[in-house]
Amino acid sequence: MKRTFLGEFEEIVLLVVAGCSEDAYGVVIWEQLQQQTGRNITISAVHATLYRLEEKGFLSSQMGGATAERGGRRKRFFTVTALGSRALQEIQVLRDQLWKAIPQGKLQLIGQ
Amino acid sequence: MAIQKRQFKTQNRPNAPVEPPRWPARLLDWFVAPHLREDLQGDLYEIFQKRVEQVGIARAKWEYTWAVLHYLTPFFFKRQPKQYPQPFFLTPAMIRNYFKIAFRSLVKSKGYSFINIAGLAAGMACSIVLFLVIKHETSYDQNHTNGNRIYRVETENIKEKHIYPGTYTGMVNALRNDVPEAELVVPLFKVWGKTFSVPTSDKQFKESVVFANNDLFHLLDYQWVGGSERTALSQPNTVVLSRAYAEKYFGTTDVIGKTLQLDGKQDLQVAGVLENPPTTSSFPFNMLVSFATIKNTDPGFDLNKWNGWGDNFQVYALLKNGLRPEQLTQRFSRIVLKYIGKEALPDKRFVLNPLSELHYSSNMSGRTANVALLKTLSYIGLFVLLIACFNFINLTTAQAFKRAKEVGVRKAVGSNRLSLVYQFLTEAGLITFCAALLSVLIAQLSLPLVNDTLSIPLTIFDLFTWQMALFIVGLVFITALLSGIYPAFRLSGMAPIWALKNNPFAQGKPLFTLRQGLVVVQFTISLMLISSALLINRQLAFFQNADLGFNKSAIVTVGLPDNSSAKLQLLRSRLAESPKIKEVNFSFNSASAESNWMQNMEYRQSEKAIPIKTQMKMADANFLSTYSIQLLAGENLRDSDTSSTSFKIIANEVFLNRMGINRPADAIGQKVYYGDGQEFATIVGVMKNFHVNSLHQKIDPTVYQVIPNNFYQAGIKLSSDKLETMQAALAHIEKAWKATYPNHVFEYKFLDETLAQAYDAETRTAKLIGVSTFLAVLIACFGLFGLATFTAEQRTKEIGVRKVLGASVLSVWGLLSKEFVYLVLIAFVIATPVAYYFLQDWLTKYEFRTELSWWIFALAGVGTLTVTLLTVSFQSIKAASLNPVKSLRSE
Repeated sequence: MKRTFLGEFEEIVLLVVAGCSEDAYGVVIWEQLQQQTGRNITISAVHATLYRLEEKGFLSSQMGGATAERGGRRKRFFTVTALGSRALQEIQVLRDQLWKAIPQGKLQLIGQ
Repeated sequence: MAIQKRQFKTQNRPNAPVEPPRWPARLLDWFVAPHLREDLQGDLYEIFQKRVEQVGIARAKWEYTWAVLHYLTPFFFKRQPKQYPQPFFLTPAMIRNYFKIAFRSLVKSKGYSFINIAGLAAGMACSIVLFLVIKHETSYDQNHTNGNRIYRVETENIKEKHIYPGTYTGMVNALRNDVPEAELVVPLFKVWGKTFSVPTSDKQFKESVVFANNDLFHLLDYQWVGGSERTALSQPNTVVLSRAYAEKYFGTTDVIGKTLQLDGKQDLQVAGVLENPPTTSSFPFNMLVSFATIKNTDPGFDLNKWNGWGDNFQVYALLKNGLRPEQLTQRFSRIVLKYIGKEALPDKRFVLNPLSELHYSSNMSGRTANVALLKTLSYIGLFVLLIACFNFINLTTAQAFKRAKEVGVRKAVGSNRLSLVYQFLTEAGLITFCAALLSVLIAQLSLPLVNDTLSIPLTIFDLFTWQMALFIVGLVFITALLSGIYPAFRLSGMAPIWALKNNPFAQGKPLFTLRQGLVVVQFTISLMLISSALLINRQLAFFQNADLGFNKSAIVTVGLPDNSSAKLQLLRSRLAESPKIKEVNFSFNSASAESNWMQNMEYRQSEKAIPIKTQMKMADANFLSTYSIQLLAGENLRDSDTSSTSFKIIANEVFLNRMGINRPADAIGQKVYYGDGQEFATIVGVMKNFHVNSLHQKIDPTVYQVIPNNFYQAGIKLSSDKLETMQAALAHIEKAWKATYPNHVFEYKFLDETLAQAYDAETRTAKLIGVSTFLAVLIACFGLFGLATFTAEQRTKEIGVRKVLGASVLSVWGLLSKEFVYLVLIAFVIATPVAYYFLQDWLTKYEFRTELSWWIFALAGVGTLTVTLLTVSFQSIKAASLNPVKSLRSE
């Protein structure tokens, strides 16, 4: 099977969705993202990425119930699909392999 | 403003959430694809609420707007493909259904349909008639082969800024010799009051006749019944008749070679018969006499005259191909130089007026289009149509609130907006179509009236042409769209949940609805029309009742075909036999007349001669007494005051004023010279000012002199203006006149009627504005009636409750009528200054005018208010007097 490419931002978003303890929807994901990365991210970028990940099959979504604090509009909850979790694991495995290939103490030396 | 207001509200009530800024929210709603819209909007809303608490409203709003801008990318715009196929709503079955439903709703509410159709029909009839009139007036002289090369040579007095349609008789030869660019030069000379008779019978008619040569038939296109265009008028003493005139004189069109007698002296041979001229021709000649005949009928007629001209001698030229009239300016100034002289150059100019323009200025047909009147009419027509359309919009939106449920149900079961729009447009179309049919009928019935008021020859055939059909189709289309599109979109746009609720219009009442706005516009237009109608009628009354400075009543004028003193003596003594005839005055024209004799006079008392352009009243000694003109100083003239060695004149006050003399007595004995020559006249008397022209013009400096050569009419003062006296006197006048002039046709006119003709244009405008005002008010009232009915129906329950609680009929009536009265008042406030401005402007063009007094506007306002109250009261009283038991039960 051909591997689908995951961009850096996409990967982070996917990880955040996977890591959410409560139901993940736009606002929560956006806040988590900012908190975890410390970066200033626009909500539109988050939305675009979420929908794109859903198109690619890494995320699935369903609408929740209407709530008053959103002016009666429903939330869209995102969950990671099997394909999404496999893609994350594959990346993890690949990274581990690459880490192991680095000779011991090399990075510390460069860092100094 | 609106947003700020809302903010203010929310700060007072902390529980209510702050709304995001309106425009970015709308932009988002419109831009983002529907399948993404809800959660996305929700997220933004939630963030916004959080930020409001964190950083305050202003910053949160700014952030919201900034965030929205980031969504404006193709990714969010791209719509999902539709899941279901879109049905097509214009299949024959659907169209049939639209019509069926439209027809049903039309029949269901007969009252509304009637008001709608009647109002629209009146408005459309107005525009149809106006289209007819304008089409007719613009279709003159359009079908001549060489039409675009034909011009009339006109004479311009540069200083007077006036262009006269006629020119010098010498122009014919000048053009032929000095202007090679003119291919054909055609003089036309029109003469009135010639008597024609058939020698073999006793048929005798007074006619106006045109002298022309054969070139006329090469210039313009004519259809021939008999004779030929090559020879018809080439010989002297020949005449060409129209078909109608051939039949009038001989009873047949086979008349070539027959003889007509002109003024009982000159025999003319019929050389050709023309097809009757079309109504849209500026050359509708019935009798054409060959130009060479002038030498026989009027031996003194100078065909090479350069020192005076008349409007009845006109010269037409056919220019060579590709020439523009401006290219001949040089030629014409050379003609002025050669024939009139260098000193005339600054004041005299000849201009070429194209054939297509002749109908808009003075021409030989006697029919001229009044462009200003046509413009006014088109505006009024448009206004009336607009009022009718507004009515439609008002009634449909008002009434369709009843149909809100229908819309709701339709939407709930799956109708989409487009099919509802089609539905409502079909209804508008059906009503407009019915109105169009009715309007054609109205237009047809009103044609005779229109012809009469505008004096144009429209026939029923003008109504059924393809252009007219096209116009009506266009009109129906535009009217249906204009009046149907707003209700259609307004109704179809209702959300089904609102539409299905009991009272679909509780969603906030705007301060001023469109419906009220339209009513205000309707009444503004009506009020402006009413005040115009009132003012123009007052101006007319002013014209009729103004003190002219002379007495115009009971004066009969007759022509004098022969003014030799023997004949005049005879006529006078014959007329004097009757005691019913008080006074007989022979003169050039009446005290006030349309055509006048202007003469340059000079007063040379001081260093510098004072030139005075003077009107000559040439009459015998009875002039002042016949017209009851007051003599202020000096003595009256005598019939014998004709000696050329000592001319005597009586001048009016304006003349004295120009001379610089204040007291009438001082003017007696002063000399004034004729032009710059040496001939002079002595002032022997001063007469009081009287109106020598119509009231459109100032009073000219005028002198009165006895010149028997120029007596062309007799003014006969009757002893009383009682009907019997007049009849008897007229019979006597005819007998005396016929005895004096046996070979002529007797015609008479009443002076007051002749004078009234000067105000024909105003009379006509007054009538037209009167009719359109009536129509506008009628249509507006129709609409008001419908609206009042609607309001009363809507508030049935409210009225019931009020009555149960003790409201009187009067108070309920006041409640229902109040809102309409208020609208009329607004209209009054808008209409009055606008009308004041335009009417004041209109009045200034009259030299003698009535005042634009406040009561005209007050009357218009009070009248409109009364009509409004009457219209509304009919419904409101009905509603107010209804038994509350009934009204409370109604659902």
